[in-house]
Amino acid sequence: MVREDNLIKIIGKDGYTKIRQTKCLLVGAGGIGSELLKDLILMEFGEIHIVDLDTIDLSNLNRQFLFRQRDIKQPKSTTAVKAVQNFNNSNLIPYQGNIMDTTQFPLHWFKQFNIIFNALDNLAARRYVNKMSQFLSLPLLESGTAGFDGYIQPIFPGKTECFDCTKKETPKTFPVCTIRSTPSQPIHCVVWAKNFLFNQLFADDDNQNEDNENKDWGTTDENEIKRIKQETNELQKLHNIILEQDFNRIPFILKKLFIDDISKLLLIENLWKTRTKPLLLDESIISENNHDVTEKKSLNEVWDIKYIIQRFIAVTKTLSQRMKSEGNFIEFDKDDEDTLEFVAMAANIRSYLFHIPMKSVFDIKQTAGNIIPAIATTNAIIAGLSALTSLRVLNLLDKYAPIEDVTKLNMAFTAMASNMTTNRYLSNPQLAPPNCTCPVCSQVVRGVVQLSDKLNEATTLEQLINKLKVKYGYGEDDDVSILDMKDQRLLYDFDFEDLCLRNLKDLKFVNGTIILFSDDSDNDEIKKPIELYFEIGDNVNELILPTLNIPMIKPKKPETDNEEKEEELVPMTENQEDEDGVVILDENDEEVIVEDSKKRPRAEDEDDLIEIIDLPKKAKN
Amino acid sequence: MNTSTELGEDEIALYDRQIRLWGLEAQTNIRSARVLLINIGSIGTEITKNIVLSGVGHFSILDNNHIVTEEDLGSQFFLSKEDVGKCRIDAVKERIIDLNPRVELGFETDSFDKLVSQKCEKYDIVIATELTRNQTIQLNKWTRLNNIPLYTAGSNGLFGYIFVDLIQFEAKDKKLQSIRVSKLGVVSPNKEIIHLEVTKDPEDEKKVYENIVTKNKYIPFDQLLSTACLEGKLTRRQLKRVSSILPLTITHLKDTNFIKSNETGFRNEVIKTCEQLRIDPALILKLEYVQQFIAQNNVEFAPVAAILGGAVAQDVINILGKRQQPLNNFIIFDGITLDMPIFEF
Repeated sequence: MVREDNLIKIIGKDGYTKIRQTKCLLVGAGGIGSELLKDLILMEFGEIHIVDLDTIDLSNLNRQFLFRQRDIKQPKSTTAVKAVQNFNNSNLIPYQGNIMDTTQFPLHWFKQFNIIFNALDNLAARRYVNKMSQFLSLPLLESGTAGFDGYIQPIFPGKTECFDCTKKETPKTFPVCTIRSTPSQPIHCVVWAKNFLFNQLFADDDNQNEDNENKDWGTTDENEIKRIKQETNELQKLHNIILEQDFNRIPFILKKLFIDDISKLLLIENLWKTRTKPLLLDESIISENNHDVTEKKSLNEVWDIKYIIQRFIAVTKTLSQRMKSEGNFIEFDKDDEDTLEFVAMAANIRSYLFHIPMKSVFDIKQTAGNIIPAIATTNAIIAGLSALTSLRVLNLLDKYAPIEDVTKLNMAFTAMASNMTTNRYLSNPQLAPPNCTCPVCSQVVRGVVQLSDKLNEATTLEQLINKLKVKYGYGEDDDVSILDMKDQRLLYDFDFEDLCLRNLKDLKFVNGTIILFSDDSDNDEIKKPIELYFEIGDNVNELILPTLNIPMIKPKKPETDNEEKEEELVPMTENQEDEDGVVILDENDEEVIVEDSKKRPRAEDEDDLIEIIDLPKKAKN
Repeated sequence: MNTSTELGEDEIALYDRQIRLWGLEAQTNIRSARVLLINIGSIGTEITKNIVLSGVGHFSILDNNHIVTEEDLGSQFFLSKEDVGKCRIDAVKERIIDLNPRVELGFETDSFDKLVSQKCEKYDIVIATELTRNQTIQLNKWTRLNNIPLYTAGSNGLFGYIFVDLIQFEAKDKKLQSIRVSKLGVVSPNKEIIHLEVTKDPEDEKKVYENIVTKNKYIPFDQLLSTACLEGKLTRRQLKRVSSILPLTITHLKDTNFIKSNETGFRNEVIKTCEQLRIDPALILKLEYVQQFIAQNNVEFAPVAAILGGAVAQDVINILGKRQQPLNNFIIFDGITLDMPIFEF
C-alpha cells in the first residue's frame, strides 16, 4: 500500500502520471485558497504555484485553517506553504504579490500552467485572470463564497462562458443628495461619515482644494450648489482645528455639523414636505460632556447619544494628536480602531438626528469596511468542488466520464444554503457556450504582440498603426481606432491624431499593455476588433504581430457608438498625461456612492471590493 | 473552555467573519456545545477541522483502534509520513489542539461497544464515520435512547452520502420571503411548518422576512434501509432522473459484502434496492456507475471528504447555533456531475 493507491483507483495509472506532471496556478491563499491548496496537494498535483498579496489577519483564523495566531502579519502565500509541509508531496512555489502585476507575473509566466484556480476575493483580479486565461486559452476554475453562498465555474476559453459573460451584480448606488441632505437609512449616515466627513477632516490639504467650478454637484439647483460650496469652505475650518490640535474647539466641530448645518437644511422647505424634519443636537449635551472618557462600553451594543458625543470628542482628539506624526494624513481603515470609532460616532449622531436607528460599532464596521461574512465550511465545500472539477477539466476521469463536449461539464452553486431550493444541496447546471455579446471573450479577436524595449522606444504610434493595417488586411485609408484598455484611454481615431508621432514608450506602452484595435469604417460589415497584449521582452529583434483570423461582423448601432465615445473615450491631452496618463471620468464617480450587494456569491473578506467613491484619492496619484 | 456566557472581545474579533453571518447568540450557543466524533478518517478530519475552527465548546474524538497506513496520507492532512504505524488518534492530537487552542478537546478512552452500552449525558451531538452497518444501527439506537442528534457520513471514491437523525427537531429559521410564500402545514414528507410570522425589515420596507418554525421528523438508520421508498415523494419526471448513486449507496449500506461478489451479483442487489425505492433500474441504473462504484470501493478521496465534511459540519453548526433548516434526512453526492440531492425517507 502506498499513498497514491486510492488516487490511482479513481484516475488510473496514466492519470496519475499525468497529474504528477501537471502544473497549476492557485491565485489566492485565503479562505478558498487554503482549502484548495490542501485538496490539490492530496490529489498529488505535480507543481502548485501560489500567489497571494495579503498578510494574515486575526479575523482570517476562523476559516483559513493553515494559519495560527503566531502567523499574524506574515504573508499568506509563504506561510501556507510552510504550514502544509507535514502532508505535502508536491512542488510548491509561493509568491507574495499582486497577480495583476505584469512585472512579477508577465503573460509568458502564465504560459507554463496547465490550469488556473481562482480563489480570489475581488472582482478586478478575477476579471484580470479571466482575461489572461482568454489570451492563453488556459482552462480556468473560477470560484467564490460569501457566507453560506458559494459557486464554482470551470471556464474553457472560446468554448464555454467566461467570467464576464454574465453580468455581475453592480454595487448599489445612492444619490449624493441622499447622503448630504436627506439620509433615511443607517448606511447613508455611514457613507456620509466615512467618505465625506472623515476625508474632509483627516485627508491632507491637497485633497481639499478640488476644482469646484467644473464639478458635478449631484444637483442643478443653484441654491443647493451654493450651499454645498459654502459647506465645503466651512469644513476647511474644521480641518484646521484638527491640524492645529485645537482641542478646546472640538465641540465647535459638533456644533457646526449637527446644529448649524442641519439648521441650514431645515431652511430648504421642499426637502421636508414628505419627510420628517431632522432634530438639532442639544447644545447642552456637547458642553456638559467636554471631557475625556475612559469607560469602555461593548462594541456590540448601541450606545446612548450622550456617551456617543463623549466618545466623538475623545476619538477626534486622539486622531488629531496622531495627525502630525502621520504626515497630516490619516486614511480610514476598518481595522484602525480610532478611525472606525470616529466614523461610527459621527454616523450615529447623524442617524440619531435624522430619526434613523443607530448601530453598534461592530455593525458599522461591516458597512464601512465592506466586510463579507465568511465561514470555513462553505470554503471547504467550494474548494472541494473546484478541486474535483479540475479532474474533469483535465480529462482525468476519462475512463468512466469521458468528455466529448466541454459544455456537458457542470458548474455548481450552494442551492440549499442559499435558500434556492430544499431538495438539492447543490445545483449543478451544465456550462453554457460563450455569450456572443460578451465584451471580453466574444466581441474581440485576441493576440500577443512581441517587441523589445528598444523597439518600444523606436516605434511611433503611426508606425504601429500602419503595421497593424497591413497585417490585418486594412487599406491605407481605412478608419481605425486604438484604445488603451487599462484606462479606456483613446490613443487614436480618425479625428484624434495628436499622438501619432509619439513613440510607444512615451505613450506608456509597457509590458502588459493591452490595446483594442478597431475598424471604424461606416461599412455594413466591419472587421472584428482585435485586442492585443504587448509583451515587451529582450530577445526580440523586430515587432512581431500575431497571425489572426479576423471575421467580419455587423457594426454596432451608431447611436450607442456615439454615446460610448462621449462617455468613455476621452482623448488624452498633454496636461492630463502628466498626471500619469490617467484620464479621470469625473462626472459620476465622485458622486456615486456604492454599497455592498449581498446577493451574488463572492469571495470572502473583500476588504477592497467596494470602493465607496474615493475617486479623489485615485485622481491624486 | 471559557465558561462565562458572554463572548469576550478577543473571541468576537477572532470569530468576526462568522458572527456577522449567524450572530452573537448563535456563536454563544456553539461555544456551549459538546460534540463527539467517532472515527477520524478523511471525512472525520474535515469535520474536525471545520467544527474546531468554528469555536465549539468541547470536541471529543473516539478513534481507538486505527493504525496509520501509507494510504491514509493521501486523504488525511493531519498526518505525516512519520506517523505511519502509529496510533491514529495519537498522531493527530497535537495538530488539532494547535488548530484552535480555545476548544476543549477530549479523547474518548471507552471502546465503541462500551460507549454505546451506557447512558450518556456528555454530548449534544454525535457524528460518526467509518462504521459498519451493525455499528451504525447500534449507535443510532443509543443516540435515540439518549435523545442525541446523529449524523453519519461515508464515501466511496467519487461518491458519498450523509445520513441525519435528529429524532424530532423544531427548526427556527428567518429568511427573506421569496415568490413561493411559506404557509402553515405539511410542506414535505418529513416537515411541517408549525409557526409562521412575517416581519418587515425596519430599515427597508421592501425586505419581508418569514420567521418560521418547522417541525422535522426523522427515522432511524435501520428503518431507512428497510423502508426507503420514493413512491409519492417525487414526481414521475423526477423518478426517472434519480441518480444511480442512490440505489448503489443504499445497497452498499445494507451489506458491504454485496460489493465483494462479482459485478452481476452486486448489480442484482442494486436492482432489488431500486424495486424497494420504486424506481426503474432500466432507466436509472447506469452500467458505468456500477463499475466505477465497485472499482472505488473503500477509496477515500480528499475533495469528496472536503465536500461531505463541509456539509456535515455546516449542518451541525446550524443546529447548534439554532439557525437555518437542518438536513432531512439522506443526502447523496456524485463527484462527477456534482449532483447532490436531498431525499426525505
